[in-house]
Amino acid sequence: MLLAGLYLVSLRLQPQGATPTQEPGPEIPAAKKQLALFLGAMALATLLYKPLGYPLDSFLLMLALLRILGMKRWGFNVLISLATAVASYFLFVQWLDIPLPKGWIGL
Amino acid sequence: MLESLHHLLSGFAIATTIDNLFYCLIGAIIGTIVGVLPGLGPIAGIALLIPATYNLNATSAIIMLAGIYYGAMYGGSTTSILINVPGETASVITCIDGYQMAKKGRAGPALAIVAIGSFIAGSIGIFGLVFLAPPLAEAALAFGPPEFFSLMVFGFIVLSNVTGKSLLKSLMMAVVGLIIGAVGLDPVTGLARFTFGSTYLLGGIEFVAVAIGLFGIGEVLVNVEQPAEMLEQKVLVPRLRELYPTLQDLKQSIGAILRGTGIGFAVGLVPGPAPVIATYASYKVEKGISDHPEDFGKGAIEGVAGPESANNSACQAAFIPLFVLGIPFAPPTAVLLGALLIHGVTPGPMMIGQHPELFWGVIASMYIGNFILLLLNLPFVPLFANILRTPKKVLLPLVILFCITGMYTVNNSVADIWSMLAFGALGYLMQKWEYSGAPLLLALVLGPKMEVAFRQALMISHGDFGVFIERPVSLTFILATLLFLLMPMFRPLFARFKKGTLSRA
Repeated sequence: MLLAGLYLVSLRLQPQGATPTQEPGPEIPAAKKQLALFLGAMALATLLYKPLGYPLDSFLLMLALLRILGMKRWGFNVLISLATAVASYFLFVQWLDIPLPKGWIGL
Repeated sequence: MLESLHHLLSGFAIATTIDNLFYCLIGAIIGTIVGVLPGLGPIAGIALLIPATYNLNATSAIIMLAGIYYGAMYGGSTTSILINVPGETASVITCIDGYQMAKKGRAGPALAIVAIGSFIAGSIGIFGLVFLAPPLAEAALAFGPPEFFSLMVFGFIVLSNVTGKSLLKSLMMAVVGLIIGAVGLDPVTGLARFTFGSTYLLGGIEFVAVAIGLFGIGEVLVNVEQPAEMLEQKVLVPRLRELYPTLQDLKQSIGAILRGTGIGFAVGLVPGPAPVIATYASYKVEKGISDHPEDFGKGAIEGVAGPESANNSACQAAFIPLFVLGIPFAPPTAVLLGALLIHGVTPGPMMIGQHPELFWGVIASMYIGNFILLLLNLPFVPLFANILRTPKKVLLPLVILFCITGMYTVNNSVADIWSMLAFGALGYLMQKWEYSGAPLLLALVLGPKMEVAFRQALMISHGDFGVFIERPVSLTFILATLLFLLMPMFRPLFARFKKGTLSRA
């Protein structure tokens, strides 16, 4: 939930942050804002690491970070995030047998 | 001598088992990728892969992790040449002439000479290891706690002198590392220190968290802040048939390769980020003795061959202090020390005798690894260069995800992820303000060892501090340390003296 919230915030902030051609002043603050959002997303993902479980948490984190970095195409972002979450789940949990948090989806 | 060769052969027998060849290959590939990716260097690479080695035996684990170290040296040069962005610090110097060569359409020969030079350096370096390590270990057997303490103090001062731009900043970082290292249970009496009642801090601050935080997350954060247009780069990928250097290239480079190997090996034995210093030293030497110094900076092949050979042999030589003394002198070997300890191996003078299969197996695997890298790099350079075409905006989140997962798996602890994030933020600030992370990481690893050595030495002497200067070996290190510390003070004096004599003459 919090992650999703942050996400919506990032949505609203991003259009200004991603286009560097706006007024001369806010360019550096935009970069700082991006950095703060990036850090915030990581902190939230850490907070929700156990409750959400690894697959869901990694999917949402990936989605949020892509968006924060200014990737605008939704379909593409969802695709990459999903692919990352699924691939890393199989790599870590199924193949390497690393016990990552299952969370409430129970994977 | 003959005995060493015999051991080396048995090492090859260990390194060439299917399992170990596989792990060597994996390590070399991951190392190359880690080296190619800007923002992820060998330090974070090794630290991230430690959890993946939990199910392996110690020898295979170290074979793989060592492969990441020297593989990264190769990978870093690829990005330097192709896009003028060093994948890791030891390849900064390669950008100068490597990228110029690429711009002239000679990226192929530049990449090839890196691979050939590194292979030659690796082949010569291995003999250095075989013939230097056992006698050094024998000598170090006579070391007691006072000697180890003085040696570590010496290492710190030298390291702080050669890393970063400012001695003061490096020393400050070393002290921060020492303080962080002191958190947790007192190693001698078992009392809790700096834990503020937290059970998490009782176990000390996880050093993998510090390593990944400072050198992984911190790098990513710095990259995030870079303006968007910097994130995409043009890649000059050479075609396969353009890869092979001409005979003229080889003739021109062979001297540089051999000199680079020698410089690298000597520098690798000294505390500090050896591969980085070795590349600078080699470049300077090549430029100095060249009969066409005006070509340097415009695509001189010696300017690529020398430094790249030097960083490879420095990287090998750095294993000597780690294996023989148990004292890592460079940050990547500090992380390797952590890996060794996790696998129940305590490196030091006794290690060659106690774990011969590990020592000789790893040395032999380095030779094999260099050969694998030679095979891997020449034909697959276009493939590795393609990794660079992945937009950074996708790459950075992936690195973050990998860091978080890797960190969690070390102790199955979310608290470790928090430490890692905190050190990530610290690492970002340190880069902004030009503080070097190397002294901090080394101090964190060496601090507790140093403390134990110090206290044991005082217990032996019943509290008499004279023990550090009464023993000749210890005294030598102490005097060398003082010399290093006092040198900057005398430098203006020297300069004045020189000027004085000159004006008189």
